[in-house]
Amino acid sequence: MASVEELAEAYAEWRRRSNDNARLRKMVRGWDRVIHFTTTDTGAGFTMEVRDQVLSELAVGHVGQPDVIVTGSSEDFCDMFWGDLNPSEKYMSGEITLAGAQQDVMRIDAISMVAFLDQPQ
Amino acid sequence: MSAEGRGAPTGPPHGAESLRRALGLRTVVSTSTGLAFAALEYLAAAGLVAYVAGDSAWIPIGVAGLLALLAWGFFGELNGMFPTAAAIRLYMKRSMDDRAALTITFTYMTTIVLVIAADAFIVGSALAHAFGEPAWVSGLWIVGLLGLAVLSNLRGVRVAGGVQDLATYVVLAATLVVGVTALARNHHGLRFPLDPIHGRSTGDLIEAVALGVFLYSAFEWVTTSAEEVRRPHHIHRGMLISIGILFVVCSLVTVAMSHVLSHHQLISAYPQLDLGSAAMGQAGLWLMAGVTAVTALNTFNGGFITASRFVYGTAREGSLPRQLALLNDRAVPWVPVLALGVLSLVVALVVAVTGSWQVLVAVGAALEAMIYAVAAFCTLRLRARAPHHERPFRLRGAPVLAVVGLVVFSLLAVVASVSVNSKLNPVPLIIIVCCGALSASYVLGVLPRVRSAEEARRAAAPRRRPARPPAGPPGPGA
Repeated sequence: MASVEELAEAYAEWRRRSNDNARLRKMVRGWDRVIHFTTTDTGAGFTMEVRDQVLSELAVGHVGQPDVIVTGSSEDFCDMFWGDLNPSEKYMSGEITLAGAQQDVMRIDAISMVAFLDQPQ
Repeated sequence: MSAEGRGAPTGPPHGAESLRRALGLRTVVSTSTGLAFAALEYLAAAGLVAYVAGDSAWIPIGVAGLLALLAWGFFGELNGMFPTAAAIRLYMKRSMDDRAALTITFTYMTTIVLVIAADAFIVGSALAHAFGEPAWVSGLWIVGLLGLAVLSNLRGVRVAGGVQDLATYVVLAATLVVGVTALARNHHGLRFPLDPIHGRSTGDLIEAVALGVFLYSAFEWVTTSAEEVRRPHHIHRGMLISIGILFVVCSLVTVAMSHVLSHHQLISAYPQLDLGSAAMGQAGLWLMAGVTAVTALNTFNGGFITASRFVYGTAREGSLPRQLALLNDRAVPWVPVLALGVLSLVVALVVAVTGSWQVLVAVGAALEAMIYAVAAFCTLRLRARAPHHERPFRLRGAPVLAVVGLVVFSLLAVVASVSVNSKLNPVPLIIIVCCGALSASYVLGVLPRVRSAEEARRAAAPRRRPARPPAGPPGPGA
């Protein structure tokens, strides 16, 4: 199980990479969303927001009304934020579940892919 | 047949109830009905008339509706277990060998290409006919329509839920009004309305039922919206309502067609325009031309999004080449969208040149019956393999009904695949076998290499997450 500090550290790296990535900022243009994360193993909740093409800091707890809810284990979230885990694989195996519009789900996957230059060349 | 809610959660399993934007029952019904009620529906309805006596087509449509209810039970249970857009991958992977699951899924995906191609052809033909243009102009309409669909998809344009609701209900209402008016304006009584096999054989009736199943096909595609609904039970309730609506509208329009249209009109590429004309003259013709164009909105919107996102997800999972997961600046998987557009264009133009749209109907009917049989199999297999998995929607009598469904739908798939226009014709079967063989050769021959390359790439990438410091020795009080 990953601690809240580990998750926050991992998210900070994800956020830095995303906000520094010009292509990614283009991809989230006009996509202002509130995303809730819920860990299945620790029962913790976190909130991130995308506003004006910028990812916010991670807030502990569920803040505001979400557009997307992502549920998975703290370890998977940690690995995903570090770019070591392909969230699509976990999603297709049912280990990460989502609630929200399909196009929003696509954007989150896009962030995780492009932020780590995982985009196929 | 009935279903029972057992252990149904009070809210969605993943808290979708609290989402800022979530789909309600009205949109679930319109999505389910709209996906099934493509422009191809009118041609399939007209084609069904050839298999039964007089104006009795509503009977095989009703029987097909009962079978669709059976399929609804399977999809309701499976969707409840896996309320996700990736459900088909999940329940098939857990019910059978993954290679078989992928082969079936890829083959099934060809239905989407066929339906998009068929709708492009039908709308193109209808518009060319309505404008009094020569038949070859329909080819230009097809290119224009598919080009527009590809472009809007690449730009990430998506029809809003409200617009989709409006479009679907307008199409259904207009079709009902035209059907009733056409019947009312014809002063002759219905011919053999209760005797579908008068002068025909039981085999013809079975073929009519197989074709009738196609009229409901794609109602289950709404399960890919499971993550977006306000309450999980909206999906199976919405599908149930959709089947009821489809029965009423399809029965009425088919009986109206059999009653007022000539054989020549029934086998044309635009029988719905002739029905509109018979009901309301030139105004009716234009009304049905407009309605036909609007049906394409749902097909192109739903079809392109469902297929391209599925291909993207499968590529990201590592089961298709990584190039299929390339995203453009609007986060749209542009390679699958383009490929889908090109494939649909080729199929639509081949159909326009050969006039073989009834072959498409037969292929679609067979593939849908096949996937219903697969759903029956998965329901049965998962009852044995995962008996304790939560089932918010549980099909009562599933062990028996699943066996019945498996046998009946398999039989209908075979019947539909060897018959076109009530004549023995193996072309649909040959097309399906070719698609299945292509899928199987990819899964058995290419996929292992794709997966090895993906694993090697991942193994070569350094792990970014810092290693955890080793836990210190336990303190004195431990």
